[in-house]
Amino acid sequence: MDEQLNDAPCGFLNLSKDGTVLSINQTLIHLLGYKNTDQLVGQHINSILTASARVFLQLYFMPLIMVEHTVEEMYLSLAPRSGEEVPVLINASLNRNNGNTVIVCVIIPMRRRSEYENQLIIARKLAEDASNEKSKANAQLETALKKLEAKQEELLKVNKQNQKYKIETQEELKLAKKIQETSLTAPIYNENLQIDSYYRASSELSGDTYGFYQINKHQYGVILLDVMGHGISASLITMSLQSLFQKLVSKGSAPDFVMKELDNHLHHLFQSNEEAWHYCTAIYLLIDTNKQTIEYTNAGHPPAIYQDSNGIQQEFGAMTPPIGSLEGIHFKSETITYKPGSKLLLYTDGVSEPLGLTRLSSLLKENKSLALNRFKEKIIYSLETEGDNRFKNDDQCFILIGLE
Amino acid sequence: MTDNILKRNNVNVMGKGKQPLVFAPGFGCDQTVWTSVSESFTNDYQVILFDYVGLGKSDVNAFDPEKYSALSGYAQDVLDVCSALDLKDAIFVGHSVGSMIGILASLQHPEYFSKLILLGPSPCYLNDPPAYFGGFEKEDLTGLIDMMDRNYIGWANVFASTIINNPERSDVASELEDRFCSTDPVIARTFAEASFFSDNRKDLPKVTVPSLILQCSEDIIAPESVGEYMHEHLPNSKIAYMKATGHCPHMSHPEETIQMIQDYLEGTPYEAVPEGGLI
Repeated sequence: MDEQLNDAPCGFLNLSKDGTVLSINQTLIHLLGYKNTDQLVGQHINSILTASARVFLQLYFMPLIMVEHTVEEMYLSLAPRSGEEVPVLINASLNRNNGNTVIVCVIIPMRRRSEYENQLIIARKLAEDASNEKSKANAQLETALKKLEAKQEELLKVNKQNQKYKIETQEELKLAKKIQETSLTAPIYNENLQIDSYYRASSELSGDTYGFYQINKHQYGVILLDVMGHGISASLITMSLQSLFQKLVSKGSAPDFVMKELDNHLHHLFQSNEEAWHYCTAIYLLIDTNKQTIEYTNAGHPPAIYQDSNGIQQEFGAMTPPIGSLEGIHFKSETITYKPGSKLLLYTDGVSEPLGLTRLSSLLKENKSLALNRFKEKIIYSLETEGDNRFKNDDQCFILIGLE
Repeated sequence: MTDNILKRNNVNVMGKGKQPLVFAPGFGCDQTVWTSVSESFTNDYQVILFDYVGLGKSDVNAFDPEKYSALSGYAQDVLDVCSALDLKDAIFVGHSVGSMIGILASLQHPEYFSKLILLGPSPCYLNDPPAYFGGFEKEDLTGLIDMMDRNYIGWANVFASTIINNPERSDVASELEDRFCSTDPVIARTFAEASFFSDNRKDLPKVTVPSLILQCSEDIIAPESVGEYMHEHLPNSKIAYMKATGHCPHMSHPEETIQMIQDYLEGTPYEAVPEGGLI
């Protein structure tokens, strides 16, 4: 071999097309840790390659050199006689001289460059992993977003349905309120007495109800009830009680009997349904304009205020617990004689709580000579302008009676 | 559909003969590897060359990483080509893992094939001691894949994953290394893993199409013991030993390869030969 080629600063190798080493230069011999060329000439190139490089040579080097007659910058790893494998770059060409096919190879070790490339590969792998993670995270976000959008759409749909339902319910409640109000009795104004009332439901429907009826020429029945709570359930109970007291009062039944019947009715309503249990405060007056008496009974209801023409007041306080509460209540009645010019104020706690009992009593005193309808307006005005707002979300109801 | 397949797999049909002769490349390279051998058959046969999807001039955009992560994906390519050309009783010549791909195809549609010529085949590259010696330890094969990575220059430009997973970047895909033997980290790596980590030993006894095993000398990828294992377990198989060394006799020793194939094809029809018999 040419001396210059033998000592050139690169490995030089001639192979047969089978891969047998035909000649090898001194530089490569040294690199591989051999002493002289005889040790490698005649051997297969596999003997200086790592296992992976042998396969790679078969899969890539051989097809390329056979078909394209040239190989450029192929990375391979050599296995020296001892020590670590040597990464190399190989350039090769296929030469045909005098019918002989020779593969000419130039081999350059690239230990340092290989280290550099390793770092590049690691960096690329990291970047690629990060990129994959990012796409994965993006995909997850997108899925989450889609789910969220679907949920939102669903919510909007439900909301729409709710809205529709709410509107329908409100309409229903308005109608129910009208029906409830229709069932209330109209004011009575005659030469013997005047009865007027005020009624305001906290929500659409009220747990308060009342009724006043002329039983015969001289007798009048006045009843005021407040079912515990307010809203739909309370209002339904008032309606149920109302149909009953209407019959009882019209017949001219005694006050204690009326109260007992209402009490029985409530107990009967809830005897098999603890959850729906409601009690009710009630006051009932039977007025006889001929005898000028008031017979009354009060079941747990705030006291009615009686005031004579001189402004002397008397309370018709509770005589028993509310109806529908305790079993076996014995109802009684009391009777007083009234003088012309007296007034009576019946009310529910929706009126007494914001204004206070003293205020109601003083209102009566201050306006003892005022006409009944004007006095009613005074109380309403006081309810609107005075008192504790915290108590104003209850049903409000009061009845005024003027006795002549 | 037919046109799509012919384009997708870059199918080339030539020759004056009527008997179809399909050449299937091995791992990593395209149909160019068959040039020296296939030319000798164009007078008497209908020569059919093709590329697996992802290789050579095939349609890279048709590459489905999941489908081609198993040899069955490549076998489907062969079946698609046979179906598109309406082949029957074709002679199939497969190199290296191309042999195994042909075997898998023949199990699904034996009527497409009349003979299988298997050049350097192996049903399993990994050693499975003590009974089976495939020639490789796992580290050798992972080392090979590392070396493929080191020889792939294309990756300097673009992330492997973006090539395949991004339909908007089909321009990138088509710019994949324009070499007939690719080491790209997506297609070639998928093919390498499908080829070198598969074990198809159980499929061999099911084969019904007669076959010839061409066994090279000093082939480190498909050593003699593997060729003999094939012969032992493939029904109706013959084995012939070549003088050619290495794993690519069709390129390094085309004359001998042509001769062996012709001898087999022109020889008397198949007759039972004793176990391990030679032709």
